[in-house]
Amino acid sequence: MNIKETLFSLSNAVNVGNLHEASDIAFDILSKYAETERKDNLTVIGKIKGESDYTIMLDAHLDEVAFVVTDVDDKGFLTVAKCGGIDLRTLPARVVTVHGKEKIPAVFCSTPPHLSSGEKEYTDIGELKLDTCLGSSAKDIISVGDYVTYRQKATALNGTIVTGKSFDDRAGVVCLLELAERLSRKKLPVSVSFVLCDWEELGLRGSKIASFEVNPDEAVAIDVSFGDGPDISPDECGNISGGAMIGVSPVLCREISDKLFNIAKEKGILHQAEIMGGKTGTDGDVISTTQNGVKTGLVSIPLRNMHTDVELLDIKDIESICDILEQYILSGGVSNG
Amino acid sequence: MVDILRQLCTLDATSGDETAVRNFIINEIKYFCELKTDNLGNIIAFKKGKKTPTRKLMIDAHMDEVGLIISSVTDKGFLKFKTVGGIDTAVLLSRRVLINGKTYGVIGGKPIHLTSGDEAKKLPKADNLYIDIGAKDKEEALKTVSLGDRAVICSEFLSCNDKITSKALDDRIGCAILIQLIKQESEYDFYGSFSVQEEVGLRGAKVSAFSIDPDSAIILEGTTAADIADVSSDKQVCALGDGAAVSFMDGATVYDREYYNLALTSGIKCQVKRAVSGGNNSGAVHLNKSGVRTVAVSVPCRYIHSASSVADINDINSALALAKHLINKICGEAV
Repeated sequence: MNIKETLFSLSNAVNVGNLHEASDIAFDILSKYAETERKDNLTVIGKIKGESDYTIMLDAHLDEVAFVVTDVDDKGFLTVAKCGGIDLRTLPARVVTVHGKEKIPAVFCSTPPHLSSGEKEYTDIGELKLDTCLGSSAKDIISVGDYVTYRQKATALNGTIVTGKSFDDRAGVVCLLELAERLSRKKLPVSVSFVLCDWEELGLRGSKIASFEVNPDEAVAIDVSFGDGPDISPDECGNISGGAMIGVSPVLCREISDKLFNIAKEKGILHQAEIMGGKTGTDGDVISTTQNGVKTGLVSIPLRNMHTDVELLDIKDIESICDILEQYILSGGVSNG
Repeated sequence: MVDILRQLCTLDATSGDETAVRNFIINEIKYFCELKTDNLGNIIAFKKGKKTPTRKLMIDAHMDEVGLIISSVTDKGFLKFKTVGGIDTAVLLSRRVLINGKTYGVIGGKPIHLTSGDEAKKLPKADNLYIDIGAKDKEEALKTVSLGDRAVICSEFLSCNDKITSKALDDRIGCAILIQLIKQESEYDFYGSFSVQEEVGLRGAKVSAFSIDPDSAIILEGTTAADIADVSSDKQVCALGDGAAVSFMDGATVYDREYYNLALTSGIKCQVKRAVSGGNNSGAVHLNKSGVRTVAVSVPCRYIHSASSVADINDINSALALAKHLINKICGEAV
């Protein structure tokens, strides 16, 4: 599998609510390597059986931050609500796609200079109307409840540094697909469930039901985390190109974290620690409290500009995660502990 | 018209760096007029008509667009920049940019998860923004980018339902109209000025007006339209679909009232620009030498100076028709 090409095709695809392009792509790839099924809730679950029934669940989320239409007016302007955490300040004059009966490009209104007196505050997405340029015919094509998504196509910047929309968490999805390919060729001491779930951005909802269904013995969530930048304090972020961010937190299983660190050190795989004081803000938070409780680890890809359409990461950091987790699964996770 | 406009908008030409647009225009018009490029880079074209009027007429559109100029590189390889022309930071946050037509970068920032309170509500100052080209340090960044390089916000040219969305509609619309006027047969001789450096203080038109030395001038422009949701009619300035906008007065010019009336009585769909704000090359041209009788024909653009301005193709056609009408009336000495 070409990691960059797969990431780009997943990133350019859309996955929110009833729109499931990325889910379709991921399903087709995962089906090649694992016994794969789709659930009604758009969750994709692939299983590779190993020598024992001890099951390690790998988790990444397919959904992306987006918007949903709440009103269509007579002049073709839309009011929208957010699906996930979006910085309102990044929206004026941005072109997005409205998924009505057709895909319609639309522009978030930007207040012209003659109307802005003093410093404008961005607190209410209801004030940021979306211009469809359709006039009164907007109502024929667009309905309340239709989704609106970013429309940026992924591209390479410098070498293995790439930028695009929805790398959160298509980058994690790519890790799972790459691991499925690698592990499908190997004899595994344990069974592995590859879980691609929905609605992470609205409060870890998809993973809650998916992990209940799988009920694994242990789990590792793969997500993105904050990459370094000039305006971010170094203890709040990892370094882009600095390798896999191995999570350590009160809600995560220390045994798993330690084993991930040991593998990375032994095999000389680039890695860095991500220390959190409590919840991780990832699917790991809900997987760990599933059924009788699940030992859970977290590995993250450092990413800049999270939840915008100019997310940025290094493909090499994805490779580091795959290298560490491949060894982790081959060694049976913490099943012997 | 839409096709020419698409090609013009796709080219990058921040003020002082208009070469790409200039070369394209020269290639389009060279068989239809006599032309020269002056010391600042303005194209001055002489269009021979059927008749030579007693009043010398200049028609101006500017080639440059707003953008960014790279001013320094941090040790970690991030590019600091200054804005070229009036750009609101609200349209810069989290955008992909293209530097020198070859290197992509993104304008990054702290993720929403790590911002709170006032920081999350208010726009950062442009001084605090930076372009990230994925370089690991200063040395690597300077292998692909040099100080003084220009950047523009990447945009798609979209056209649907008679509406066009793109960067640089201000003033490639004017350029596209002037190209048409030059390519078509004209009743009267006129001079076309495709000017540089409008967005940094109407600098190109000042010298092209001096060298053309016109008696009358028509300025073709894009102007702000605020006919958007939640803006009351009195603050909309002009509206898409209501025709070309004609100004009586703006921040830089009091326009020739007789020419203004010629436009309003032309029978061609047009509207009055209902605000005394902004300015365009008229400001430089109408004060040339002993003064020039000047009229501005503007196409309404929503979100002007952003990478996604919106204009209506019908207004562009109205502006073209109105410009032709004004050539004939002014040169025919109707007033």
